[in-house]
Amino acid sequence: MSQGEVRNLFKHEIMPLLAPAVRRLFSRVEPQHLLKVEEIRMRSGQPLIIRGWDGEYGLDANNGLTHDINRSYRVSGEDIIRTIAAISDNSLYAFEEDIKKGFITIAGGHRVGLAGQVIMQQGQVKAIKEFSSICLRIAREIKGCAVPLMGSIYAPGGKVNNTLLISPPRCGKTTLLRDIARLLSTGSRQHQPYHVVIVDERSELAGCYLGLPQLEVGPRTDVLDACSKAAGIMMAIRALSPEVIITDELGRREDAEAIRECINAGVSIVSSVHASSVDELAARPIMSELVESKIFKNIIILSRSKGPGSIEKVIRWD
Amino acid sequence: MLWIKIMGSVMLVSALGFWGLAGAHGIGRRSEELKELRFALAFLEKEITYMHTPLTLALERTAAVCHHPIAGFFLESAVKLKAREGLTAGEAWGQGIAWLKTQSHLKSADLEVLNTAAQQLGMSDSSDQRKFLMMIQEEIKVQEEKARQEQRANQKLWSYGGFIMGIVIVLLLI
Repeated sequence: MSQGEVRNLFKHEIMPLLAPAVRRLFSRVEPQHLLKVEEIRMRSGQPLIIRGWDGEYGLDANNGLTHDINRSYRVSGEDIIRTIAAISDNSLYAFEEDIKKGFITIAGGHRVGLAGQVIMQQGQVKAIKEFSSICLRIAREIKGCAVPLMGSIYAPGGKVNNTLLISPPRCGKTTLLRDIARLLSTGSRQHQPYHVVIVDERSELAGCYLGLPQLEVGPRTDVLDACSKAAGIMMAIRALSPEVIITDELGRREDAEAIRECINAGVSIVSSVHASSVDELAARPIMSELVESKIFKNIIILSRSKGPGSIEKVIRWD
Repeated sequence: MLWIKIMGSVMLVSALGFWGLAGAHGIGRRSEELKELRFALAFLEKEITYMHTPLTLALERTAAVCHHPIAGFFLESAVKLKAREGLTAGEAWGQGIAWLKTQSHLKSADLEVLNTAAQQLGMSDSSDQRKFLMMIQEEIKVQEEKARQEQRANQKLWSYGGFIMGIVIVLLLI
């Protein structure tokens, strides 16, 4: 992403969502610093914290980004209320279902996590009120970031290898999966395009807002937004005749069962899981079964050693 | 000289008479405006709780189904919110009320009822929104009933009072 693009992203998509006091602080930050920003954390009465790909920063009224968090602007309760009002377009009632899940996906595909007093009813989350903090996670499209991986994803005979991306959080799995979806769905001179379904449980892969993907996922891609992985995979197989299903962060037993169904139906799967190594994955019973059954022919281990999306290792089970 | 006296008397009686008629009309207008405001709030409630329409659009749609000055109040609030200058719904609603104060026959007690919506408008789930919007409609209905009682008691007094006052002043001057 260029400095011009990041400036436009902040000017049109992020700044209008922030409370005026915080917005003024961001307007003084240079575009080359904005490039680093991955998350904006606002907690009532606490310093404003920015998580960048290279560390944590505060935002000082005089000096812009600073490593000294104690000098950072102190977020007020009013800043939280004004930011939530702007994010929800003053219409929290229109986001009831999203708030029950703990986050709102906004135009541009950015995700706003919310914390506060949670109202429970019959064991289910009914609402969150008295908001105390906001985590604004900025969705970044890095088109072409998955190109170095595609060699291992395309299989001979016009097939797609079942692929699992493994990494700790914040190593770029979601960004890579989105680009893989886009590249598979678009095709190229050497490779045919594929019909892709994204099962986007946390609305992060396609960043759907009002049902429409806000990030580019390709011309042959259908998105089942905010749908559980297991249900979404079965729905996709039954109704959307995909050649490839892409989903994020496997972990539950029903996810593993749905993946077996998917493979048996002849549909390829590209997915991701939180872990720092195959050994760590093998310690989790459900995932170890999946890995040992060698359903995934291609395991890609990622890290942040050279920035998000660094490829540490590619393991093939051919 | 007599002509001047007659002309002056007629003008005085007419002026005070029309002032009285305007006052009587104003008393009637207040209850009409409160009624329209109540219907408009019911419309806004449906837009919010059933349609889940974003607030700015819901306010614009409400403005479209009513007349001046109630329409202007909703439109003014919508325009302020649309500008996205960091205003909350409550502040935009407050600016709408300030506009309404200059353009309507509503009393400060009526506007105060409307102002109680400011804190909660848009910022809770739809069942909460329904509860407080219904409560405000009930309170507006109470104000409307008071306005009608006042209208019955005072409208005739204002209608005739202006002319009578004019005649009394003319008689005193003569």
